[in-house]
Amino acid sequence: MADDRKRVLVVDDASLVRLYYRKALEDAGFDVAEALNGLEALEILVAGPVDLLIVDINMPRMDGVTFLKTLRRKELPLASIPALVTSTEGAAQDFAAARAAGANFYLTKPVSQAKLIEFSSLLCGRPR
Amino acid sequence: MPLVRSNSDKPGVDRAAGDPRAALLSGSPEQRWTAARRIAETQAGAPLLAEALGLEKDARVREAIFTGLASIATRESALAILPHLRSDDANLRTGALDALRMMPDAARPHLKGLLGDSDADVRLLACDLLRDQPAADATEMLIALLETESEPNVCAAAVDVLAEVGEASAVPALLHCADRFPSDPFLSFAIKQVIERLRPPASLARG
Amino acid sequence: MVFNEGKRYFVDRRVIDRMSATGSATFASYFARLRGDLQNEVEQFINAFTINETYFYREDQQLRCLTSDLLDERVRSKKRGQPIRIWSAPCSTGEEPFSIAIWILENWRQADAHDIEIVGSDIDTKVLEAAREGIFGKRALMRLTPVLIEKYFVAIDPERWRIVQSLRESILLTSVNLVEASQTRAHGKFDVIFCRNVLIYFDDASRRMAAENLYENLEPGGYICLGHTESMSRISPLFEVCRFADAIVYRKPLSDGHG
Repeated sequence: MADDRKRVLVVDDASLVRLYYRKALEDAGFDVAEALNGLEALEILVAGPVDLLIVDINMPRMDGVTFLKTLRRKELPLASIPALVTSTEGAAQDFAAARAAGANFYLTKPVSQAKLIEFSSLLCGRPR
Repeated sequence: MPLVRSNSDKPGVDRAAGDPRAALLSGSPEQRWTAARRIAETQAGAPLLAEALGLEKDARVREAIFTGLASIATRESALAILPHLRSDDANLRTGALDALRMMPDAARPHLKGLLGDSDADVRLLACDLLRDQPAADATEMLIALLETESEPNVCAAAVDVLAEVGEASAVPALLHCADRFPSDPFLSFAIKQVIERLRPPASLARG
Repeated sequence: MVFNEGKRYFVDRRVIDRMSATGSATFASYFARLRGDLQNEVEQFINAFTINETYFYREDQQLRCLTSDLLDERVRSKKRGQPIRIWSAPCSTGEEPFSIAIWILENWRQADAHDIEIVGSDIDTKVLEAAREGIFGKRALMRLTPVLIEKYFVAIDPERWRIVQSLRESILLTSVNLVEASQTRAHGKFDVIFCRNVLIYFDDASRRMAAENLYENLEPGGYICLGHTESMSRISPLFEVCRFADAIVYRKPLSDGHG
């Protein structure tokens, strides 16, 4: 693993969604880790930070909003990891809740692979 | 030796004295958590838990209330949980879903209604409930949904559940769904993946 | 407990064993015996299914974490005279609670300055009887040095060793069903709980219930150790995950939830 590769943690309970994002991100030169909910994401993050989080809202055991709130209360560098939130919910209050919890950007599903890469690169720096 | 034998008749956690309703609705978070668990020990606790669920803001206490309602697993406790599938609060929505997944028999009578709900977000969450139903029933209901569903994200949820519990009989409905939403990037990908898993390959020998 | 197709042989064997032991000619007659709980058959049935492979100092990185980090942390929260309480649940035939005891005596610098209560509990009454006997074979002792065996065991024959009496008597062994709050609650609050490689056998609902019960059995700031391949992420959001040099463990928060 080259030191300059950006590491992304995809947090979504749908295995097909994680696969879909993984393919796009790896093709674009990112390293990808996966978690099926906010709890698993926190377990991965205690081992070390990542450069970007892609977080879904609706997940079992710990949803995306609760995960972000928990993460933003932690010490640096975890608290400041950029977070791209994805959701099927398109309403304004869901976007507001995510932003209040600490999302840096919000995309409504379905997210095209091109759009995913565009915003991932914007939020954590373009990978080599 | 520093090891000391524990006293075998040591009293356990103090049984909370006083009015359980008061403890559940206006105690400290620790008191409310403990009260929720006590109240859930009998089926008669369902209405009080339902009342508290609408008011409780602490995530751990909510978790205990949901666990309690799910372990009671009656028609009444299911009815108490269902409205929260519609909540604006993601924690309540997913907590309600988790609780219903703990009580598949009590949830079953409501599945058809939820899968046909006018709110697409409710239909989407309802697909997850089929993971705990017998595979043949789940496949049948998901096929019916795929034939008529207008929202691609709901279809995507159904496809993800079919990936886990679906049977080969779902393949025609999956193909038809892909035809109905040709421009949805994720759905095309997901359907292709699931069909490959459900349909045995024509030839096992690959270069 | 959950069994998928892969465990069919395991299940079949145990049912056949019980049918044979009870003289049941048909499954129907055995099932009737089970349903009626004739001659304690429910307990026998449970015992037949809950056999674990275990040995002393199994997954010792968590024991290392205990004496390197967890106990020192817990000591900070104890008031004068309060014992440190550690729970091994399930304890099976006793290897785990006795391992914890020996490890602490051998590796924790502060051991003599504190009262330490170790409790071992299991649903299986047969293994508890064995644990009370405290007799172990070569296999169970394979990770212990001869020095440790000499110090903490008495050889009763060339193949079997017994834990020294003082150690046997200092550990309380009880029966418990982790899914039953009334049973877990009776054990009081602990500083550290070892609940290793058992939750994987429970269905989702039972797992969640057991985790919630164990949360109640922890002091604020108390720790719970699962098997090193297990995770709370599919079980319960109640605990915080903590990473130490030797192990990842879970903790009950010090103060109440953040809502």
